[in-house]
Amino acid sequence: MRSVSKARVWLGLPVLLAGVGLVLSFPSLAPNPYLLSVGIVVLNYAVLSTAWNFMGGFTGYISLGHGALAGLGAYGTALLITKAGMPSFAALFAATAIVALLAIPLGFAALRVRGASFVIVSIALVLILLLVFQSWASLTGGSSGLVVPRPFPQLLRPEHHRVFYYLFAGLLALALLCWWLIDRSRFGLGLKAVREDEDKAESLGTPTFAYKLVIFTVSAAFTALGGGLYALWFGDLDPVFQFSILSGAYMVLMALLGGVRNLFGPVLGALIVGIGLEYFKVEYGNTPLHLVASGLLLAVVVMFMPDGVIPSVSNVFGRFFQPTRASIREVSAEQLREEARR
Amino acid sequence: MGRTLASVPLLELRGIEVGYGRAAPVLRGLTVQVPAGAIVCLVGPNGAGKSTVLKVASGLLRPQSGQIILDGQDVTGQGPQQMLACGLAHVLQGHSVFREMTVAENVLLGGYTIKDKAVVTERAERVRKLFPVVDERWNALAGLLSGGQQKQVEFARSLMVNPKVVLLDEPSMGLDPKSTNTVFEQVVRMRDAGTAVLLVEQNARRALQTADIGCVLDLGRVHISGPASDLLDNPLLGELYLGGRPA
Repeated sequence: MRSVSKARVWLGLPVLLAGVGLVLSFPSLAPNPYLLSVGIVVLNYAVLSTAWNFMGGFTGYISLGHGALAGLGAYGTALLITKAGMPSFAALFAATAIVALLAIPLGFAALRVRGASFVIVSIALVLILLLVFQSWASLTGGSSGLVVPRPFPQLLRPEHHRVFYYLFAGLLALALLCWWLIDRSRFGLGLKAVREDEDKAESLGTPTFAYKLVIFTVSAAFTALGGGLYALWFGDLDPVFQFSILSGAYMVLMALLGGVRNLFGPVLGALIVGIGLEYFKVEYGNTPLHLVASGLLLAVVVMFMPDGVIPSVSNVFGRFFQPTRASIREVSAEQLREEARR
Repeated sequence: MGRTLASVPLLELRGIEVGYGRAAPVLRGLTVQVPAGAIVCLVGPNGAGKSTVLKVASGLLRPQSGQIILDGQDVTGQGPQQMLACGLAHVLQGHSVFREMTVAENVLLGGYTIKDKAVVTERAERVRKLFPVVDERWNALAGLLSGGQQKQVEFARSLMVNPKVVLLDEPSMGLDPKSTNTVFEQVVRMRDAGTAVLLVEQNARRALQTADIGCVLDLGRVHISGPASDLLDNPLLGELYLGGRPA
C-alpha cells in the first residue's frame, strides 16, 4: 500500500546493511561474556518492544500489560519442560501457541474499551497474574522461583550466550519482517486508520474490532516468544520480575523513544534503554537511580520528540533532501491571475 | 434549471421521526426525496435538524419511526457499513481526513470494502482525474493540505465505493470564498458524473444556486420544497431563511 521513494532506499539500505553487519559480528567483537550477555538483553528488549509495537504502533492502543504476556510465555515454556517433559524448543512454541490462544478471550474483553480504560485493564492483567503465579507455589514455585533446564547443557557459558544471541537476533529479524509486511498491507492500512480515528475507520467499512483482535494476538505471540526464549537463556524465573508493570512500561518507553510508527523505532529505543539500564546497574548497583533516569528520559521524549528519535531525525534530513514537502503550494501572482481568468 | 429529473426517487426518507436520548424529537415526520442525478439541498435555521437527516440516512442514527428507501429497497435500520455497501456515502461535517496518512492512503481507505485490487486501482485513477488536487498531492500527508483541499480528498474518498448517493454535511464550513467556489464546482462535477447528492449547507443561498431541488427545513419537518431556483426567487423565503434579499 505504501510506496518507498528511491532516495529513502538509497539512504536506508547502507545503514540497514551496516546495522545487520554490526549485529552479526557483535559476538566476535565483544571482549567478554558479560558484554555478550548485555547484547542478549538488548536484543530481548528489542524483540519485546517490537512485539508491543504491533499493537501500540499500528492501533495506538497503549498496553502496559505486555509484561504479563512475556511472563506467561516464560512460565509456559518452563512448566511445559519441567512438568510435561517436553523438549525445550517444542515447549517454547507450544507455550507461544497457548498464549496466542489466551490472547483471544483477553483481547475480546480488553479491546472493548479505549484510551485510559484500556491502559487500566492491561495493568489489571499484570497484577492478577502476579498474584496467581506468586500464590500458586505448588505449580510455579511461587516466590522461590522456577529453575528452567538449559536446552544446551553441554555448552560452556560463553558458547551458551553466543547461541542465544543469534537466536534472539533471528527472532528479532522475524518480528521486524512481519511488522514490515503488515505495514505495507491492506490489513496494515486498516489498522492505521484505527489508530487515527476508530469511528471514522468503522464508517468506511474497516472491521475495526476484528482487526484489533488479530493484531493483539500477533503481538501476544511475539511477546510470548520473547519471554519464552528469555526463560531458556536465563534459566531462572521469579514472578515479581516476570509479571512486573515495569517491564511493560519499558516496552512502551523503548517504542516511544525510537518512534512507534517506524519499523526500527523500538530497536533503537531498546538499544538506548538497554545500555542505559546496564550502565546504571554496573555504576550504581541496586539503587532506584535507573528508574529516575527512565522517568526523566520518558519526560524528555514526550516534551521534545513526541514522535520519537527516528521521525525527528528524519524530519531534519527531510528539510535538506525534500524541500518540496511544503504544505502550501507556492504560486506566483501571474499564475493566480491565469487561474482566475480560467 | 433545465435538467430533467427522474420521477422515481433514488433515496427517499418517509415520515422519519428521531431524537437524541429523552430530549424532544429532532425530526417529526420528515419526508425528503432525492432523484437520481440531482443535487438536493436542505436549508434551514440552526437546530432545524439538517445534519440529523444525513445521520439517519447514512445509518449513524436509527429512526424511531419512518422508512428509508434506497434504490427501491427498504434499508431502514441498516448500519453505516451496510449503507456504504448499498451505495450511500456520507461526508461528515468539518474535516474528516486521516491527517497522519497520505492522500493516497485516505483515498484507498474509501474503497476498503472492495476486495478486487483492480477495481480499487481503476476507481482511484478515476477520482484522481475528477479531483486534480488529489492527483497533485497524492503522496502528501493529508493533514498538510489546506481546508479546501482536504474537503476534496474527502469527496474523492467517498466516490471510491462508486456510490449512488453522496451525503454532504456543510462542505463549505470554515473555507475561504475561493475554496468554497472550488468545493461547489466539485459538487456539480460529482452530480454530472452520475452521483446524486443530498447537501446540507449553512451558506443557503450559495447552496441553492448549485442545487436542482431545495427543501426548507424547520422544526424537524420540510416546510417548502421545489426547484432550487424558485426558492431563491421567493422573497418571503429570502427574508426568513436565506439571510435577507440578495444584494
